Amino acid sequence: MNKDILIIGGGIAGMQASLDLGDMGLQVHLVEKLTCIGGKMAQLDKTFPTNDCAI
Amino acid sequence: MVEKVTGSKGDFTVIVRKKARYVNEDLCTGCGACAEKCPTTVPDDYEMGLGNRKAIYRHYAQGIPSVFCIDPDYCRTFQGKKCGVCQKICQAKAIDYKQEDKVLELKVGAIILATGYDLFDATRISEYGYGRLANVVNSMEFERLSSASGPTEGHVKRPSDLRDHNLIKTKEKSLKKSTRTLAKYEKKHKMSTADFYKQFTAGNISDGDEFEKWVKQYENVREATRKLEELKARAEKFDIATRLAFIQCVGSRDFRFNKYCSSYCCMHSIKEAMMAKDHDARTEAYIFNMDLRTVGKGFEEYKVRGAEKLGLHYVRGRVAEITQDENENPIIWYEETTSQEVKSLTVDLAVLAVACEAPRGIEKVAELVGVALDHNRFFKTAPLNPLDTTVPGIFVCGCAQGPVDIPESVAQASSAASRAAEVIWQSTIEYGESHWKKKNPE
Amino acid sequence: MEKEEPRIGVFVCKCGNNIAGLLDVEALEEYSRTLPDVVFTQWNLYICSDAGLEEIKKGIKEQNLNRVVVASCTPRTHEPLFRSVCAEAGLNGYLFEMVNIRDQCSWVHAGYKEDAMVKARDLIRMGVAKAALLEPQEIITSNVAVRALVVGGGIAGLTAAISLADRGFPVILLEKEKELGGMLRSLYRLAPMDMDASEVIDKKIKEVQDNPNIDIYTGATIDKVKGFIGKFDVTFSANGTSKDVRLGVVIIATGAGNLVPEGMYQYDGHKVITQWELEEKLKAGKIDGNNVVMIQCVGARSAERKYCSRICCAIAIKNAILIKELNSEAKVCILYRDIMAYGVQNEDQLRKAKELGIRFVKYDPERPPVVNEDKVTVFHHLMGKEIDLPQDMVVLSTPLVASEEAEKVASLFRVSLDENKFFLEAHVKLRPIDCATDGIFICGSAHYPKDVRESILQALGAASRASIPLSQGEVKIEPIVTSLVNKDACRGCGLCVALCPYNALEIRDTDEGRKVNVITVACKGCGVCAATCYRHALSINSFTDDQMEAQIHSFLAA
Repeated sequence: MNKDILIIGGGIAGMQASLDLGDMGLQVHLVEKLTCIGGKMAQLDKTFPTNDCAI
Repeated sequence: MVEKVTGSKGDFTVIVRKKARYVNEDLCTGCGACAEKCPTTVPDDYEMGLGNRKAIYRHYAQGIPSVFCIDPDYCRTFQGKKCGVCQKICQAKAIDYKQEDKVLELKVGAIILATGYDLFDATRISEYGYGRLANVVNSMEFERLSSASGPTEGHVKRPSDLRDHNLIKTKEKSLKKSTRTLAKYEKKHKMSTADFYKQFTAGNISDGDEFEKWVKQYENVREATRKLEELKARAEKFDIATRLAFIQCVGSRDFRFNKYCSSYCCMHSIKEAMMAKDHDARTEAYIFNMDLRTVGKGFEEYKVRGAEKLGLHYVRGRVAEITQDENENPIIWYEETTSQEVKSLTVDLAVLAVACEAPRGIEKVAELVGVALDHNRFFKTAPLNPLDTTVPGIFVCGCAQGPVDIPESVAQASSAASRAAEVIWQSTIEYGESHWKKKNPE
Repeated sequence: MEKEEPRIGVFVCKCGNNIAGLLDVEALEEYSRTLPDVVFTQWNLYICSDAGLEEIKKGIKEQNLNRVVVASCTPRTHEPLFRSVCAEAGLNGYLFEMVNIRDQCSWVHAGYKEDAMVKARDLIRMGVAKAALLEPQEIITSNVAVRALVVGGGIAGLTAAISLADRGFPVILLEKEKELGGMLRSLYRLAPMDMDASEVIDKKIKEVQDNPNIDIYTGATIDKVKGFIGKFDVTFSANGTSKDVRLGVVIIATGAGNLVPEGMYQYDGHKVITQWELEEKLKAGKIDGNNVVMIQCVGARSAERKYCSRICCAIAIKNAILIKELNSEAKVCILYRDIMAYGVQNEDQLRKAKELGIRFVKYDPERPPVVNEDKVTVFHHLMGKEIDLPQDMVVLSTPLVASEEAEKVASLFRVSLDENKFFLEAHVKLRPIDCATDGIFICGSAHYPKDVRESILQALGAASRASIPLSQGEVKIEPIVTSLVNKDACRGCGLCVALCPYNALEIRDTDEGRKVNVITVACKGCGVCAATCYRHALSINSFTDDQMEAQIHSFLAA
């Protein structure tokens, strides 16, 4: 039985899943095809409906 | 890059290829001196091609890890040319042209697919002119144009003006070079070019090879200057794009492409229009829509505020075609359904709210991990187990299972985490219980 | 730590163009150099980038900085990051002060460069003055009781309970009704997946009942809640008996209610009914007459109720399809403003409805439809004229409204509601399931109207978030809390206790008399107590009177 978890994709969904699992004390492997995590949300300027900065 | 997945729930073996960065991650400090000096300029994907990066680059300034990496498709060294500038400049000695991919074997109990989405390729709708008309952009490109850290520092400029601006710069550069050549002749013959030309055309100077060249050069410079002035005069007329048209459902709710609704684009366009208005109060924004789907918390209120406080125009009607006028301003042709009239509207910039599509290459991922896709090419899930794929122990979240906005992606991510944790814990229940008891003696 | 001479480093951020677009950051850096105790200054394009953070560490190590001031964006998003960077370099993270020259200066004073520069200098000067007096603080840890409380036995509560129980966590499930199941019990078929509601909910109920880790109490009311994350002490009564339990985390899944459209569109509950009443008729398989007109946004997206209830369009489409399937002769017309068939399945259903010949007519909220004895008159948007639609039955699509219990539950657990009385999340984008109060999570329609699939999704998410403190067994708390700095001054008057919004203070009898006691874990550092205490006995760490006064003096000294 393996206790680690693999997450494919380092956008907002992949990052949040990793954070939750990491906080639960599980070992997570996060794989991202680009050179940085962040995904499409990192390209956004602001977000609706609060106009908060996306970064 | 995931290369191979074997095994089943609780016991997967995964082969991952970690691509070489050609920069030693432990040594690189992220200072950026290499990118500053790198001679090779590459269109920047992060800026949607509206800005440039270097062949050694970082995806974006705040990116994690903040280590640089070399793009071997463009790097002069990898293309067999002489360079090595980055290696010379790097004080941390982090550049490693010989670095190789690493292949890792991971043993995991559960897998979460969070592979996201791609933007619909709007060139497929030829009548909207995307890719053909300079000032028709997609929603993500607009995002970069209105971002303070983007290529225009947050000033919404027309791409045609950016193009002209670049053109002016290159032309000025080459003009400077030609003028220097003229100066050489002037020095050699101790005569100003204007004087020389007057005398030459009057036939006072006998012809010779070098004089011919001088004349030619002078005529070229004169012509180039005239053209440059023209270009500058035209560029001067345009500043910030303040008349904006947002076209909804581009590639969504369209039988030719995706029948589904992409969920977030209505709100996305309203937000982009609001931000533009916020940047420049002169902005007039028109949002062409079929329905404005404001279904989330605070969304309807946001939309109403956009109209009442910021004067955004919501126009009900599907846009038929986009053409352009002599200034490259897009002309939006549409039927206004409330008045049953075919109308046109000339704007500075048209923004296409492109559909959220399953990413290119999702079939490969599906095949690798052995899960099924649905008829829209998203990962297939069951309604009551909305994050379980067709393979036990493999879960999905975010836009990989269908279009959702950010809070839903975040909520789904937590949910997928829950499902994955259930796999690990269910099979190690004694670990779980003793673990709690040990930590909580009370 | 012995008092040592402050050696302050000031780092000023350009934040790309967010700050540097208005403010002359390099001049601000130069200005910082002139301030007392400042020994090192620097500007950066993005201090939050790794390179920028590296510079802070370098400053601490090479310049022996013992206080760090960053003038940049908002502490809301970036203070934890800068604190941890200081800690990595060996400096206590609470010897760090953040000055907001973006949100509170460059963003709000666009167009007033000179005045904004004056303000930025003021802000930095005040930050430096405070920094000189900062003291190190240590993170506080506290145990977590491993048991979860789920309030509400609808689809969301049941799903969250199962997910937690399946991982070995004991769960107490409270439901106010006599039976589990919530809203789904009164529904017929579910949109957009087209499933039988009772089948779905019965299966879930059985799963919960069979799970040994879940204690179910129906007919339950919560009487009292005390405590904080890790140690919520809840008193509830069910079936005539009262029980006290200690819980580590709480999931609120109290659902929503239906709006009864009294006085709207001739609503009478017989011939003019709501979608919920239609569900009953569909369940019985009996629809009177051939002509059905549905009206969307009844009591929603209006002046008195501004929000869109998200799911009503999908419900109307689903019920219209069911009517057509029951009676293919039926003529169903949906009068709408915008058809909110978002996503993949809803749009599929909308298409199916159109294929079945269901008519969709857009109406203008300025000219709403009028219901008469046997017809509905509506201004047809596309035809540009009024039309009459014969009706044997009119169905009103009303929004989900906040549950009647919401206010009571919110005040018991001391969490906030939004302007529509739905539970308020901690952050609309990034913490959609957490309440601002630690250890309390929300899911299902208690948060906002949701369909079944979305409720299940959010419930699993809430279970995930709730399992984090449960699995760690302890919580770590920011030490920016109140502390009794002057015990002698405290007279145990209890004014602070009465005003504390988080139940974080209590009066205790001690050898020295009645004194206030701070329940540090519950304290959010809001400062109400310190501001109230006329004896100056209480003070907030990192916001002491000395520090505040230093800031004010420094501001006035300009």
